[in-house]
Amino acid sequence: MSERITVEELAGLMKKAAGITVAPEDLQQLSDSGFDSFGLDSLGLLGIVGELENRYGTPMPPDAEKCKTPRQFLDLVNSALLAGA
Amino acid sequence: MSASHARRAAVTGIGVVAPNGTSTDAFWKATREGVSVIDPITREGCEGMPLRVAGQVRDFDPPSAIEERYLVQTDRFTHFAMAAADRALEEAGLGRADTDAAPFSVGVVTAAGSGGGEFGQRELQQLWGKGSRFVGPYQSIAWFYAASTGQISIRGGFKGPCGVIAADEAGGLDALAHAARGVRRGTDVIVAGATEAPLAPYSMVCQLGYEELSTVAEPDRAYRPFTSAACGFVPAEGGAMVVVEAEESARDRGAPVRALVAGHAATFTGASRWEESRQGLARAIQGALEEAGCAPEEIDVVFADALGVPEADRAEVLALADALGPHAGRVPVTAPKTGVGRGLAAAAVLDVAAAVLAMEQGVLPPTPNVFDVCHDLDLVTGRARATETRTALVLSRGLMGSNSALVLRRGAADAS
Repeated sequence: MSERITVEELAGLMKKAAGITVAPEDLQQLSDSGFDSFGLDSLGLLGIVGELENRYGTPMPPDAEKCKTPRQFLDLVNSALLAGA
Repeated sequence: MSASHARRAAVTGIGVVAPNGTSTDAFWKATREGVSVIDPITREGCEGMPLRVAGQVRDFDPPSAIEERYLVQTDRFTHFAMAAADRALEEAGLGRADTDAAPFSVGVVTAAGSGGGEFGQRELQQLWGKGSRFVGPYQSIAWFYAASTGQISIRGGFKGPCGVIAADEAGGLDALAHAARGVRRGTDVIVAGATEAPLAPYSMVCQLGYEELSTVAEPDRAYRPFTSAACGFVPAEGGAMVVVEAEESARDRGAPVRALVAGHAATFTGASRWEESRQGLARAIQGALEEAGCAPEEIDVVFADALGVPEADRAEVLALADALGPHAGRVPVTAPKTGVGRGLAAAAVLDVAAAVLAMEQGVLPPTPNVFDVCHDLDLVTGRARATETRTALVLSRGLMGSNSALVLRRGAADAS
């Protein structure tokens, strides 16, 4: 099990869960921009959280679905995965 | 923007995604020629059911019409709605820059009777196959009747009054009437109509209990209203959206006023109580004529509900006689839906699209597959009939008991 979700994986999840195409480099560069600026709405983010929970078989922090930016989100879920490992 | 009682609601654009054509031109050509496209249901998982034939939209590629982020969160019925809305706005000459300049002046009203069955089935299979954690969040919006209104308004950035009509099949006409009222109250543009996608396995099973459903397997014999061979109706998918706009604002920006939504009324007479629908439909017709200030003799064509159930067909013929008097025996009646099937709430919106085009072209489309009419009715059969048409009456009834009537006036001829 990978203990860290990368920007590449997040880009893949945004595509799978919400149909949003974003290059990982752009996501990295704009990681402090709001998810809404990529076209991701709250249900889309909820879908990504659900996907991660199913993938890792562990609940994500309740605040994960409230994160506003990619950096916030990755920091939160990665620290949760690290703590749970 | 000033609301006044004088504001009239015009149709300035039509967008169609129908079994017989996925553009307004293709739809009209096939409708005018009386082409029947009802054929065996071939969708995966739908084989081997008692319902054998339908009107299927085969010439529509969702990814080429809709952005992926909207595709993943919506059902097929909303894909149809978004694509039809795009085409209607394009026909009306309303680009993104125009609507962005006045977003609160643009609203959306849709009707739906089937909802997002395909999307819903997929997610419910996840629920019972894998567990609740595997149900996607968009299930919470995609399969509801309201989905198309919401997604059209979000995608287009429209912030004007929005509404959803859940009123059975007749809701399609009610949606256009609701839009016309919105325009009269002061909104400049309302994108209105109905689309349906009831041919997923789950949606099909939901319909199998209806006695009115035709289970005949031969496409040209399955849906023949107003004949002694009437054996029920054939369902269909697809639909239409139209731009309903204040006549004044349309004329100001030089857009053609293609028709006026002149009158409407709706009644309710109970599920499958077809004999009683006579009275309800007659009352709806009278109400629509009254609102339109239209005498029965002024009606140049009737687009019939044409359910294809003998008792219902008889009730419709009698309702026309009750409401129109002797004119009911003279006025041309047509039911082009016998060539494409009944798309629930969308069926009557396609009829409205055909009625507007018929008035523009001076041609009444025929009623495919119907030949020996067993009622006192001048049904247009065989081929299209050329005739000057200024006023059209469109009728719709639902299996749950709704009855609606809508009066349309030709745009150019009614500039008085």
